[in-house]
Amino acid sequence: MSGAKILVVDDEPQIRRMMRATLTSSGYQVDEAKTGEEALEKFRAFLPDLVLLDLNMPGMGGLEACRSMRDGSEVPIIILTVRNTEREKVEALDAGADDYVSKPFGMQELMARIRAALRRAPSSLQSGPQGFASDDLEIDFAQRRVRVREKTVRLTPKEFELLRHLVARGGKPVPHRELLQAVWGPDYGDETDYLRVFINHLRKKIEPDPSRPKYVLTEPWLGYRFAIPEE
Amino acid sequence: MITERVSQPLRVTFRLLGSVALVAAVIFVYYRIVPVNSLTVALTLVLAILGIATWWGFTESIAAAIAAVLGLNYFFLPPIGEFTITDPENWVALAVFLVTAITASELSVRARRRAAEAIARSREVERLYMLGQVLLLSGSVRTAAREIVNSIIRTFEIPAAVFFDQSNHEFFRSDERTTSIPDEQLQRIAEIGEPLIDQDQQIAIVPVRLGGLAIGSLGFTGCTLSTAALNALANLVAIGIERARSIDEANKAEAARQSEVLKATLLDALAHDLKTPLTSIKGAVTHMLAKPRDAEEQELLTIANEEADRLNRIVVEVLEMARIEASKLHPDRAPHNIEDIVQATLKAHEESLKGRKVALQIPESLPPADVDFEFIQQVLKQLLDNSLKYSRAGTPLTIATELAGERIVISVADQGRGISIAEQHKIFDKFYRGLAWRDNVPGTGLGLSIAKGIVEAHGGKIWVSSEPGKGTVFSFAVPMFKGELVR
Repeated sequence: MSGAKILVVDDEPQIRRMMRATLTSSGYQVDEAKTGEEALEKFRAFLPDLVLLDLNMPGMGGLEACRSMRDGSEVPIIILTVRNTEREKVEALDAGADDYVSKPFGMQELMARIRAALRRAPSSLQSGPQGFASDDLEIDFAQRRVRVREKTVRLTPKEFELLRHLVARGGKPVPHRELLQAVWGPDYGDETDYLRVFINHLRKKIEPDPSRPKYVLTEPWLGYRFAIPEE
Repeated sequence: MITERVSQPLRVTFRLLGSVALVAAVIFVYYRIVPVNSLTVALTLVLAILGIATWWGFTESIAAAIAAVLGLNYFFLPPIGEFTITDPENWVALAVFLVTAITASELSVRARRRAAEAIARSREVERLYMLGQVLLLSGSVRTAAREIVNSIIRTFEIPAAVFFDQSNHEFFRSDERTTSIPDEQLQRIAEIGEPLIDQDQQIAIVPVRLGGLAIGSLGFTGCTLSTAALNALANLVAIGIERARSIDEANKAEAARQSEVLKATLLDALAHDLKTPLTSIKGAVTHMLAKPRDAEEQELLTIANEEADRLNRIVVEVLEMARIEASKLHPDRAPHNIEDIVQATLKAHEESLKGRKVALQIPESLPPADVDFEFIQQVLKQLLDNSLKYSRAGTPLTIATELAGERIVISVADQGRGISIAEQHKIFDKFYRGLAWRDNVPGTGLGLSIAKGIVEAHGGKIWVSSEPGKGTVFSFAVPMFKGELVR
């Protein structure tokens, strides 16, 4: 998806300069924001296809900006930050980010992640099931619609893809790596913490009791599987 | 005080003479100027004796009573002009007069003493209250101790006072006049907890205690305070000092916390400021590297990229070390299976472990460890890195875990060249690099000190054993989880 619009949010001018130069030369349209507040304005005006967001900014921080952008939008958000502890990563993913890259990073790696995020989930529905239905859960993959106990639930694209992939495997365990590559892209595989966060979100949305899941089950050491409840 | 003591007997003599003179004056007036019957004389004399008892005291009133009996007998009871009594009725009258005069005097003196005591008590209470206010306003223990000594002298009008603070072993003396109270005596009273009141030397020392806790002792010279007042004073001082001490401690804890917060903030700011330019450099260089270039450019850009990485590693390790030294390392401890941590570490380092066989020896019955997952993963990574760096490619590694008492010991063994005994002591030191390797193996010499800092922050221990030529075993012990496991 060349020519895609990327919003670079960072309070450091040199980083914005570098990002603008490298992204532009790779064929992207770039706009910049210096603060979280400015990012929200640009987000509405520039309508980016992807946001590269710094966490550590004066005023409205990256996390808050991330939450605001995520609210009502499915635009992929990649966090770029000098902080790289587990807790901060989970916080950012919880705030709605799709991916997390710690500074300093290699440009190839970032480009790969940008490409993966921009590549909308392949709609190769013919390979997967058309849907799933039980007493309290209904999934329609074609319509991208999920109903839990008669109520429509909004899933983010990543959550939806995760669910689709798990259901497609028809109750068999899906390894971490396979899930990551299917949902995030071929360059992923070690980010099991991403899965933990997103599976958690998913459980909160579709499970009757998220602490005792009956659909999305953890397979220790291996991955996850979608359990089809026995009649 | 001393001049008063000298004049005391003189004053009593004057008063005694005065009392007798007053009685003589009454008798003279009634005998020579206004002749009245002996009953009137006796009643007037009783009045005079009461007055003497009230104003001067018991001794003076006794003297006056005796003088009055003699006077009555000589001048008013027949036979007049002689110290004899003929009528037995008059004997009774004289005896009644004497007993009445003495009893009344005594009652009067007692009432006066009570009144004086009441005034003294109320004055003491007032002074204690004033001292209490001073104590409540004073700040640290040192200023409180100084304030106590000064305000005791001021409010109780005592010549000199000394406070001994037992916990800091400090003496706060009002002036050199307190040298009559030696340090050893103050210490002894503080220890045994019994007051010492020496009337001859005019000194009083009271222990200062709060509950059973010995705080110190207070000494006074020329002290006229009652024992009750001294005890109250000691209690007040104890409360004041303890209050000041707890404020001191709260302040210290707050200062320590603030300095820790400050250090953490500084380190975060430093991390940000060092990594931000590195991000721009690395971003720019790697972008250029992604495009086809001639060999020379490619080589130079690769060098720039590798050096940016190296600088980043150094920044990360130095900041990590600084964090450990600022004791900012607060492991987020929870029960974790060591096997999970080992597997996660191996998984994260698949790339660098390629071509190596890693044997795992993990007993199934191993209890969970009470550790921070990420931190222990970092230690394990460090030990793995070390083993990889210092052993030949292709040689196998062993990761073993075992339970030793209440600790879980994790060890990483390689079949490398080993470390000499002399060097084994130094390798956990900051910036130490192995002699034989420092020039051809990359590193900052911080990795193992960071691992040590992390293990110690868990209350654990890290060590190395090695046989030169055969290999090295790095081991660390962390506490096992002892609580109830909640699912």
